[in-house]
Amino acid sequence: MAFQILLNFFLAFLWMFLQVSINSKTFIIGYLIGLILIYGMRRFFKTELYVRRVFAIIYLTLLFFKELIMANIDVLKVILKPKLDIQPGIFALPTELKSDWEITLLANLITLTPGTLVIDVSDDQKILYVHAIDVPDVQDAINGIKESFEKAIMEVSR
Amino acid sequence: MKTNDVILQTTSKVVFFIIILFAIHLFFAGHYHPGGGFVGGLMTSGAIVLLLLAFDIKTVAKGFPIDYKILIGVGLLFAIGTAAGSLIFNVPFFTHVFGDVYLPLFGETSLHTAMLFDLGVYLVVIGVTMTIIQTIGESE
Repeated sequence: MAFQILLNFFLAFLWMFLQVSINSKTFIIGYLIGLILIYGMRRFFKTELYVRRVFAIIYLTLLFFKELIMANIDVLKVILKPKLDIQPGIFALPTELKSDWEITLLANLITLTPGTLVIDVSDDQKILYVHAIDVPDVQDAINGIKESFEKAIMEVSR
Repeated sequence: MKTNDVILQTTSKVVFFIIILFAIHLFFAGHYHPGGGFVGGLMTSGAIVLLLLAFDIKTVAKGFPIDYKILIGVGLLFAIGTAAGSLIFNVPFFTHVFGDVYLPLFGETSLHTAMLFDLGVYLVVIGVTMTIIQTIGESE
């Protein structure tokens, strides 16, 4: 992925120097031409085209904002309720993510969506301990996080 | 009881670069905008202190094999050298000169010898802060 982006930048710069006009407009045109060329050569690369991964990153960002707004509304409901009938609890969330930055990203996404909060990571980095403000059903919460965030992060790093 | 610091370490590794960039920006903004050598130096040592909090003293010392006491001396040399340089041209001590110099990539840039003095201040502040913190941290 990184190699393809570097190649695309290199092609864009090459286009700029060939056109002898060093400005951003020429760079963007060269970048698009390079993108078309890389798409044409996509079977010669060992890895897949990087465009899908860029879209996965954008999707992850949008998903995060959506979850942020939804979860904030949920917490607002909990706060404004006259009767306090929440069930706070700590549950273990098994994760399939491997590398450090994936774990960090997942933990930060869970923490930034209100109602849930990562308090610890196990030593072998297979389990995240999550504190939730209202968990009527633990399995539901685990599945929710797994379905949304973990899958989106997997899409990026796969 | 050893805790797993993976979130803190990964985050501080990323944030470190942002803080350093902001410190350099502050250092260069010092002439026309708020900022300067002192704040830039403090910000830079703040970034190193963040690494010290996330990792341990030995790891950071391996990462930056700098003797901070020498850094203080180098910074003071910069300051005194900038001040003494004016004596060569028969003008009073600490007279600064400035002018517009054409640099490639930057275009017309106004350069000022006060910036060299500021670089001295920057290095001294980093050296002093890090020496204090490391000395306190290493004493059992």
